[in-house]
Parts: sequence; C-alpha cells; structure tokens
Amino acid sequence: MTERHAISLRTTLAPWLRLLAQRRGRLSIGTLLMALTLVSAIGLLALSGWFITASALAGTALAAGAAISLNIYVPGGGIRLFALTRTVSRYVERLYNHDTVLRLLADLRARLFGVLAGLDEHRLSRRRASDWLHRLTADIDALDSLYLRLLAPPAVAVVAVITLSAFVSFWLPVAGLAIAVLLGVAIGWLTWGQSCLGMAASRRRMEDLEHFRGRLIEQWQGLAELEAYASLASHRQRLDDIEARLEADQRRLGRLSALGNAVSGVAVGTTLIVVLWLAAQAYTSGQLSGPVMVMMSLAVLAFNEALAPLAIAFTHLGSTCVAAMRLNELEAAVASTVTPSQTLTSDALPARLDNVTLRYPGALVPALSSVSLTVAAGERVALCGASGAGKSSVASLLAGQLRPTQGKVMLDDKPVQELVPKTLPQRVAVLTQRIDLFDDSLAANLRLADPVADETRLWHALAMVELSGWAAGLPNGLATRVGEGGRQLSGGQSRRLALARLMLRDPGLVILDEPFAGLDATTAARVASHLDGWLDGRTVVYLVHDLGEQVDPPGIDRRLMLREGRLAPLPAPLR
Amino acid sequence: MTSTGDEATDLTPRRWLAELAERERPLLFLAAFAGVMAGGFTILQMALLAWFLAQLLVANAGLDALWPVLFGLVMVILLRAVAQWVQEVSALEASLRIRRRARAQLLDHLAMLGPVRLAGRHSASLANQLVEQVEALDGYFARFVPQMRLAVAIPLLILGVVVWLDWLAAVFLLISAPLIPLFMALVGMGAERLNRDQFAAVARLSSHFIDRVRGITTLQLFGRTAEATREVQYAADHYRRLSMRTLRLAFLSSAALEFFASVAIAVVAIYVGFGLLGYITYGPSTELTLFTGLLVLLLAPEFFQPLRSLSQHYHDRAAALGAAEGMVSLLAMPVDPQRLPGAETPPTPPGVLVSLASATLTYPGRGAILGPLDLTVRPGDILVVTGASGAGKSSLLQLLAGFVDPARGRRCVTPGLRFAWMDQRPLLIQGSLADNLRLSAPDVADEAMQAALERAGLAELLAVLPEGLATSLGERGVGLSGGQAQRLALARIFLSSAPLVLLDEPTAHLDADTEAAIIDALRELASEGRALVVATHHPALMRLANQRIDLGDVRIKETVID
Repeated sequence: MTERHAISLRTTLAPWLRLLAQRRGRLSIGTLLMALTLVSAIGLLALSGWFITASALAGTALAAGAAISLNIYVPGGGIRLFALTRTVSRYVERLYNHDTVLRLLADLRARLFGVLAGLDEHRLSRRRASDWLHRLTADIDALDSLYLRLLAPPAVAVVAVITLSAFVSFWLPVAGLAIAVLLGVAIGWLTWGQSCLGMAASRRRMEDLEHFRGRLIEQWQGLAELEAYASLASHRQRLDDIEARLEADQRRLGRLSALGNAVSGVAVGTTLIVVLWLAAQAYTSGQLSGPVMVMMSLAVLAFNEALAPLAIAFTHLGSTCVAAMRLNELEAAVASTVTPSQTLTSDALPARLDNVTLRYPGALVPALSSVSLTVAAGERVALCGASGAGKSSVASLLAGQLRPTQGKVMLDDKPVQELVPKTLPQRVAVLTQRIDLFDDSLAANLRLADPVADETRLWHALAMVELSGWAAGLPNGLATRVGEGGRQLSGGQSRRLALARLMLRDPGLVILDEPFAGLDATTAARVASHLDGWLDGRTVVYLVHDLGEQVDPPGIDRRLMLREGRLAPLPAPLR
Repeated sequence: MTSTGDEATDLTPRRWLAELAERERPLLFLAAFAGVMAGGFTILQMALLAWFLAQLLVANAGLDALWPVLFGLVMVILLRAVAQWVQEVSALEASLRIRRRARAQLLDHLAMLGPVRLAGRHSASLANQLVEQVEALDGYFARFVPQMRLAVAIPLLILGVVVWLDWLAAVFLLISAPLIPLFMALVGMGAERLNRDQFAAVARLSSHFIDRVRGITTLQLFGRTAEATREVQYAADHYRRLSMRTLRLAFLSSAALEFFASVAIAVVAIYVGFGLLGYITYGPSTELTLFTGLLVLLLAPEFFQPLRSLSQHYHDRAAALGAAEGMVSLLAMPVDPQRLPGAETPPTPPGVLVSLASATLTYPGRGAILGPLDLTVRPGDILVVTGASGAGKSSLLQLLAGFVDPARGRRCVTPGLRFAWMDQRPLLIQGSLADNLRLSAPDVADEAMQAALERAGLAELLAVLPEGLATSLGERGVGLSGGQAQRLALARIFLSSAPLVLLDEPTAHLDADTEAAIIDALRELASEGRALVVATHHPALMRLANQRIDLGDVRIKETVID
C-alpha cells in the first residue's frame, strides 16, 4: 500500500468513523471491557504460574527444613478474582458490545435512508432493483462491524502490549522493551501488513461478487433466449470465468489470513523465548526471583488471545473499504441545491418545459430531446406515447425529481429548482406508474398524504375510488394491512388506493400515469366521474399509452404525442 | 421445502451438507489431522517450557545446559505454526471446492428446470442464492467441521497427558468433562435459538427497510422522507431492544463455558500450589514437582480452548443450515423428464419441424392450462396464436420450445432443431453491442452484424455510436430504449439461421414505427423459408398468418386460412 493508498483509505472510511465517533462513550467502555477480559485472562495464567512456582520453591525449602512463610491468601484470592472477572467481564462485554453494534446499525440505516431520500428519480429507478437492495443491506452490515472487527481489537492489543511491557519493565526493563518491540512489530504486521497484502484481492473479490450477481441475473432473465440460441454453455463459461477469478482471490485471501495466524503464533512464541532467555539470565545473576520469571513468561504466552482476531479482519479490510466507497458514492450523488426561495400559489399551476433535453448518464440516446410544451393553469393535457418514449421523464421533471440536462422546467412561471423543497410535494401530486404501498394498514397508507386526516375523510377518499364498500366489508376495516408492497391487494385495488391517497391532498398540478390501468370498464367509468369533479380547478397531465383503447381519463382538452423522446405530430385528430 | 411426498424431498439441508462434505473427506481429514498435530505441538511446547523453568529454578541447571531446550522450543513453535497453516489452508481448499460444486449443482439444476418452472422465482433472489447463500457455506466447512473433530480429539489428548502427570488434577478437569457435552448442548441450543430469532428479526428489519426504500419515490412525492427516516431509526432501535432480551440469555451458555475454563485453571493452580507446599497429602499430590505442576497448569486452558473455538464457530453452522435450506428447496424442484440430459424426444416425420399430438399442459396449483392440442409446424409456416390474456398463448410457445413437457400427449421435434426466441423483454447482457448479437450466432462476422442491425432498423443508431459494434451497452442495457432493445432482439433472429422462430407478443407496448419494422421483418423471415409461430393480439400481425389458433374459445380449433 502506497502513501496515496493509505490516504484514500482514510478518506474512504472517514465519514463512517465520524459516525462511530458520535458514540465514542459507548465505544470506549466496550473497548475497556474487552481489555479487562484480556487482562484477566493474562493475569489468571500469570498469577497462577507465580503461585505454583513460589509454592514449589517454598515447598522445597520447607522440606529442606528452612523456616519460610508464603502468603497463600493473597495470590489465592487474586486467582479467584481473575477467574471471576474474566467470566463476568467477557459476558458483560459481549452483551454491551452487541448492544453498541445494534445501535450503530440503527444509526447507519437511518443515515443511509436519509441519503437515499435525497437522490433523484433517475438514480433511484436505476437502483431500485432488489438485487441492489441486497447489496445495500450487505454494505451496511459490513460497516456496522467496523468497530467490533477493525477498531476495538487493535486498540485492545496495543493497550495490552503497553501494559504488559510496563508491567514486565518494573522488574526487567530489557524484557519489557523486547515485548514492546516484538509484539509491536507483530501488531503492525497483522494490521498494516495484512491489509496491504490483502487489499487488492479483497477489493477485487467484492467487485467480482457484484459482477457475478449481475451475470446470474442475466442468466435467469434471459434463460429462454439463451436456451433457444444454445448460448447457455457460453454464458456458463462467462460465469465460470468470474467464479474462477473469485475462487483465486478467496484462496489468496484465505492463505494470507492463515499466514497471519501463523505469524501471530510465531510472534508470541518468539517473544516468549526472548523473554525467557533474558529472564533466565537475570535469574542466574540474582536480579530476578524464580516466581516472577515464570509469571513474565506465562503472561507473554497468554497474549495470543489479543492477536488472534486481527489477521482475518485486516486481510479483508478491502471489502469494508469497497462497501464504504459505494455508500460514499451514494452520498456524493445527492444533488446540491440552489438556495431555494420561491413558493407556489394555492391555485391551479401553469407548467412549462422550455426546450428541455434530458440525458441519463451512460445512455446512448437522450431520454428527451428539445421538448417544449406548455400546460395552462386548469388545462387537462394527455401526453401519449409508447413505453420508453419519455412520458415518465416529463412527469419526474415536473415533480422536481429530475433536473433537465438542458433547458428549463417552470411551474407557476418559476424554475422548479428554485422552489422551497416543502412546497413541491404540497402542490404537485403524482400517480406513478408503479404503485408504492407500504407494509402497513390501509389507513396508514392513506395518511401518508395527510397525517392528520380523520376517518371520515379517509372513507370519503375511498368512496371516490369505489373502494369504500370493499373496505367496509373487511373484518379489520381501515386497520387491514396491505402486505409487503401492497401484495394483499389486486393491481386495480392498489391503483385506486393510490388515487384515493392523492385525493386527500390539495394540489395545483396533478400528474396521473395510466390512472385506470388494471380497472374494468364499469369501475373505471365510475372512478372517472368522481375524479372529474376533484380535478376541477387543477392543472392535469395524463400519461397514457394511447387514447381510445379503454376508458379515457376525464375532460381531456389537448393531446400531445411523445416518440423516442421527441414531441411528435399527432397521427389523427382527437375524436 | 415443500412437503409433498415425492422422493426429491428426501434431501434435507443436513443431508445435503453431509453429501457435500463426503466428497472432500480427504481434505477435511487432513485439516483435522493437522489440527491435532498442532494440538500435539502445543502440548510439547508447554512441556518444554515447564521443563526449562523447572530445570532452571529447581534443578539449578545452568543456562549452558538448557539452550537445547530453548532450541527445541523454537522448533516446536515453528512446527506448530506450520501445522496450523496446513489446517487452515486445507480446510479452505475443501470449502472452495465444495462451494464450487454446490454452485455448479445448482446452476445445472436450474438450467434443467428451464424458464417456465423458474418463472415464479425472482431473478434477483435466485442470483442471491447462488452468491450469498453459497458463500454462507464457507464458515461451516472451513471452520466448524474440522473444529468439531478437534473439540473431541484435543481435550482427550490433553486429558491423557494430565492423567499421566497427576491423576488428581485430571479428575478436576474430568469433573467438568461430563458437563462439557451438557454445555455444548446448551451452547448449541443457545446459538441455535439465537440464530433462529436473529434470522427472523433481521429478516423483519430488512424487509421493513427494503419496503421503505422501494417506496422512496412516493415518500419524496408526498414530502414524507424525514418522518420515514425517523421510522427507520425507530424500527432498528426497537429491534435492538428485542434482540438484547434474547441475547442476555443466549450469551449465558458461552459464559458458562468461559466460567468452567476459568475455574478449572484456578482450581488446578490452587491444588498444585497447595500440593507443592505439602498442604495436600492425598493421592498423587505428594509427587507433584514444579515441572508437573506447571505443565498441568499450562494445559488446563488448552483443554477448553477447542470447545471455546467451537462455540465461536457455532453460528457458521446455523448460517450454513439456513442457506442450505433455501438451496435444497431449489434442488428439490422436480425437472421435467424430457428436459433431463439424455432424454429422447420423439422425432417428427420428414418435412415437419415440430408438432404436438393431443398435448396438454398443466401447472401445479393452476390445473389445466392448455389443450389437448394438435398442431404441426412446417418450414415457411406463419402460425399466429391469438386469445385473451391468460388464455395460454405464452404457454403454447413455451411448450413448442420444449421449455416444459406436455402433461399428456406428445411433442415431436426434428432431431437437433434450432430455434430463435423473442419475447417482450429481450435479454441484454453486460458487454458490447457485438457481444449481444453473438448470443444467437457466436462466430458471426462484423459485416453480418451490421447488415442484421440495418435490417432491424438500427442503422441510424449504429451510425451515431462512436465505437460502433464495440460500444458497451452497460449494466443490463441501460443505454437502450425499449424499442431499440426489441430491434436488437430482432437483429439476433436475423443472425441466427434457426429454421423455427418463436415470438411472444413481439410488438406489445411499442411505438408504431418499431411495430411496423417488426412486422416487415417477420414477413421477410417467412419468405426466407423460416417457420414463424407468433403469439399476438395485433391485427396487422394476424394478417400475416397462414395458420391460426385461437385459444380464446375454450378448447382448440385449428383454422387453416389459405
């Protein structure tokens, strides 16, 4: 790892370390508890060694008839105390640190959600696939163990080395120095060295996993075509290639961490031998008593426990970095805003696109090219076009969820990006093509539009979309849960519920994407008539595939056609 | 896993894991053997250390006489490191091979199941199973399985040494020994329960988070993101309080193990100390020396160490079992007999590409979907399949393609028949435009690809692409519009020389230009002598037909138009 690499590592992890630092009190206590457990483990073995040796020497002297007295109560008590603190502190430490990690998880999730909430529609729609969500949660999990795997263990090990070295120096400074140097080097190797050697492979591994996931998704989505063209074998070859790369990296990383574990064993062993040799010399020259010599050696021996967790954690440091980097990228993607100052009137809003071009990053062709359109206040316009023609992009631009690459988007004659953030959701209502319902009650899903709406208003809104009869017949009424993504509801019911949700608001511009999709003709006609009344005095943009196929949305004044991102001449006059 | 009575359900997660382990027995055995060797070297290391100290302190041996002991210590430490390395590396190799095999087994099985039987599975969750769940097997094979053997072997080895040194000290260790299985069970139960509860709670928490993230656009549109963020924090915190309640209990079992290890060291230390002082005169204690006393003390923690490691690895086992359950449920899905490798499909008479004879199609839980149907497709035929949505148009195409077996009746096919396929969501792989075209014809030349793109109406696009055919399409075709993707699929059909072309709603949701281009292209294909089977409700496409099947009217009527 070069200097530059180290700096990039620091900047990558810095935001997350700052997040952890908000809980520094808890983190310090948790680390102290870990240190206490370690000190007890070392103390237990070292004091026991001292006691046995002292007893043996005293026993030999007694047998030889010497008058010797050995205080057996203090070391006996110490041994019992260490045994107890080791058990108790280990238990408390595990519990306490687990609690900390779960708190960190809550912090991370909330922070990430806040970041996602600030992303624009384009990034969200590209990122919505659930495979991405899997990755997102995995990345969060990688960071919540940052403290437990990468911060606390080395901190504890360093503190333990210093303490041990100081303790031993009290009798034999040269042995203390040897401990500090040898174990210090070992810690350096296990943290810095292992992470340098593993960095490239562990980063590549994360990328290959992602790549592999992508190829697998291709395989399942395109299975029919792959099988038809007999391309399954060649696609399988692509998968096998990635897997072979993955395997090579995993082998490299596994061997590296095995090497780290071997190094930590050899380091402790070497330190033991050096200390043993120095102490033995001191003993033979009368500087050191036998029991103390044994105590020193055994303390070093027990130090293994401090080094054990380091190798594997630091070999995989690159994975944590990649996770942090991906989340950093997300945070960086949050659009910076112009200081917004404008608000919207409480009447119907005129809307305008001025020569708007919209190009998504990486797209071969722009989603919208030089589109200009004006919708007067109170007018109802139908924007027609095939899927992918750019209708949804127009909706996202008007709702302020996308910024145009070129051109201007004006609401109420004010540029959208200059509007106060609160005002857009209040004055612009959008029925999206894909309906989002939350795994909650009917009432809660409706109250998304108006948290303080009373039951009467909710029932009224349901009546507008012909759902009040159905809802009244449910055993739990408005408290009925809609299931994950509204899965308990049919497509038509979800759409109508979303429409009812809109009607709890008082917007000046309403954008409805295929409002009657999935509804049978009779229901659609009845909903259309209620909708017609509610839309009075509001500007409306309908997004439809084509008119005249089923029940058309009510009161269309004008019709526009989008084709491949351009406004196209109408094929036929409106009936 | 489903609880139906077929023989495939005999495969349980445990048995599958055992089968996977069986194939890598030599490596796993080597890992355990190296682990036992490392344990042996540990005992030797402790013995040399105790011997060195005892000789120096009690026997008053000079340092000159003792350096061979130190040299021996160096050797033993190195050998132990090597043994540990061999243990880890061979277990790693076993785990890598097992994961590769598990993945290959799954991929083979899924390919045999085919697009129809997998239709109910989400592609992202399948991908997740092949990535995360296979990876979740690592800890089990690389750590838990070898450690299980070590947790038996090493304590026994140490106990043997301690009995030889001082049987009374061994009794102290043994007093805890009958308790060890008990505590292992406790640890196991604790970990098992912990894992079950955690799995469930984590799943709930994740689904809450994912639910909110999925709906984030709506939350933005309603200006409710701040509230939702607070909710996410609250849900995670609620989960924390819940799980801390179970953890308090679950951690007790490992605390008990820790307690026994600590107490055993303390008891041994005090026993040895008092014995050496001559306070205990019972049994072997009078024969205790500094060497035996120190060695017993040094071995006491090593006696418990393998068990402590095992309890740390216990969650690996639970994670592997959880993952195996998901994968076994996939492996238990029965494959249609005709799709098994080596299965023989009955051949058609000469001049017929594919035919159905009284073929029916049933899906589990949905009953009869199709048929009985009789039809034959000859070169040059344009067979149009119509019917209301849900009438089984796609199913008929899938049946003809052999993605699924008929429940009754027969599907006959020209041996080695190649066919082209196009549906509403063409496959776009990550790679260049050329990579995507080569899916249907691996060895095709650039000129042919350009010609095919031109015929499919993509010449204009190709002209503006700076890198031409080498232009990367990005992740899952991000760069293309829906109509362009459809035209690309069409170009693939042109490139393939397959005599049979199956098209499922090729013009749905397309703009008029693309629609017209596709209809022209299909006419051309038919004029080349290829047979077309098209499921559609588009009048212009219907007009192309020389054979038509309407699935809308209950059962089948084959109408020959000309």
